[in-house]
Amino acid sequence: MILDERFFSRFGVEYSPNEIIFCEFEPGNEFYFIQSGRVKIVKIINNREKTIDVLSDGDVFGEMAILEEEPRSATTIAMDRVKLLKFHRDNFDTLLQGNPQLAYKLLVIFSKRIYDAKRRLMILLLEDPQLKVMDVLNMLSEQDPHLDLQNEITLYVNAPQVASWAGMAEGDVQKVLTHLSRLDKIELYGDRIVVRNIRDFQRVVSSKRKSMFS
Amino acid sequence: MANGMSSPSGIAPRTYKSGSIIYFEGDKSEYIYVLKSGRVVLTSVKLDTGEEVKEEVRQGEFFGVKSALGRYPREETAQTIGETIVLVLSLSDFERLVLRNVNVVRKMLRVFSNQLRRINKTQRTVLGEKDTINPDAELFRIGEYYFKTAVFQQAQYAYKKLMEYYPDSKYAGTAMDRINAIASGNTAVPVSGMEAMDDIQPDSAGFDDFDLEDKGGSDFEPAPAGADAGSGSLSDEMDDFLSDDSLGDLDDFTIDEPGGVDENFIPHLFENARELFDEGHVDQALEVYEKIISSDDIVSDDDKRIYENSHFEIGRCYMKQGKPREAMASFSTVIKNFPRSENVKKAFFYVGQIFESAKQKDKALVYYKKAASMAPGDSVSQQAAARIRQLQG
Repeated sequence: MILDERFFSRFGVEYSPNEIIFCEFEPGNEFYFIQSGRVKIVKIINNREKTIDVLSDGDVFGEMAILEEEPRSATTIAMDRVKLLKFHRDNFDTLLQGNPQLAYKLLVIFSKRIYDAKRRLMILLLEDPQLKVMDVLNMLSEQDPHLDLQNEITLYVNAPQVASWAGMAEGDVQKVLTHLSRLDKIELYGDRIVVRNIRDFQRVVSSKRKSMFS
Repeated sequence: MANGMSSPSGIAPRTYKSGSIIYFEGDKSEYIYVLKSGRVVLTSVKLDTGEEVKEEVRQGEFFGVKSALGRYPREETAQTIGETIVLVLSLSDFERLVLRNVNVVRKMLRVFSNQLRRINKTQRTVLGEKDTINPDAELFRIGEYYFKTAVFQQAQYAYKKLMEYYPDSKYAGTAMDRINAIASGNTAVPVSGMEAMDDIQPDSAGFDDFDLEDKGGSDFEPAPAGADAGSGSLSDEMDDFLSDDSLGDLDDFTIDEPGGVDENFIPHLFENARELFDEGHVDQALEVYEKIISSDDIVSDDDKRIYENSHFEIGRCYMKQGKPREAMASFSTVIKNFPRSENVKKAFFYVGQIFESAKQKDKALVYYKKAASMAPGDSVSQQAAARIRQLQG
């Protein structure tokens, strides 16, 4: 999104690498647009820092503060020199009036967030650990429209990330992944997982899902 | 979801017979609809209960917005009741419309935001997370996490926010102490601070901040090489601490029997263990390291290096767990059996720390001096020198 310099001089803020932008559980009154740089979203879960997402140019975060004050649900940390636009809830209306394209962008972002949250909920609702892990891989495959799902696919994800999506302990995820790799359903690397036949995983999960409430 | 839309110019209405399906759940499409006349019912299935939910669209209301904007499959089926007229908008039609009518956006954002909040709440319930939180306790917990992992900048931030928003919190005193400690560079976890945390952080204290990385204290000069030239030989030193009663007899430390580890798996296991440790899963990391040192698959030079490093890492795990005796055994293995290992200097340093924690200052000094005097003069040497100055000063 292109916003002029004047806009930046009024709402712009800059952060250095490793600087916290806001901390989980801090009251939230502002939301942010990333002009440049990367921002890491982390949570401290079971006494360890987990990276939930990495956002970059054009992304928005802290958007739950648009309507009401609520404690932040995660910590955001600048990864590079980061330029942001920071808006307080109180000037949200003025902001929308002056920048309707921003309003449209927010709608798109909320739509995606809602879908992603629902999709994750679908994973969490599966009870079987193996199905959860499979469905995380399904979800990741859905997110990349360039993948050819008829063939072997490569997903750039590691066990801790899968664990975080699945809401499972890492050890349990590791066990499932090792099992699946012994069955030659997947191939495990440090930074990626190769899935032989994702359609197979989709079928297994969706048939389970159909029978879940019957 | 948002009312007050009159028929926008240039957008043709479409007429459906009663019972027509406008779209099915699972369809992919980028069209957004506005109900002009007649009735439309949206049927979806609740994720958490499998329950079918029917919702009627009101006249002038949009539907199909989220899936079109987010470019994901329709989550509901839209069906007409009676003859029905809808306006069909492409994404760019919709964008143009929205740009002219910010109030519509505001209303939609309110609806979306509430939906997201609800889904997040269900997620938390499914994950078994608590619904009521004490933000002050949580901010303190985060501060403590970063403090103990020596990420002081982040710790400082969390403590300061705690002080800013919750100055009356029962954690405020400790938070203030921590802020001062970080500001003055004196970041060893003080015993007094641990009590306040007991109810939220059942960690064993004391051995938690042994990481050599990211530590302050660079204002200390490294000790000159060979500063400890007068003390006994290496083997004397080892005998010395091996015969130390307070730490028990360490001679029974033997390498476990070979276990079953997959072939060519060693670097992979090591990588995993490192990750587990870095992320605070010390117990699991320890398990994996144990697996490595009990493996009979140590073949390549790389494997051997990993095998040696794993002994050292096991020591670090035990320190994190607050088990100095076991840690000592591992570090002694590194020093005695792998004198050329890259970890020997660090092992000396840790042994120094163990003695220091056991209030055996003289022995601590001996091992710190070993560490400080080993080339090259790096951050470990500096850390060691810093400890020496502290103990002697």
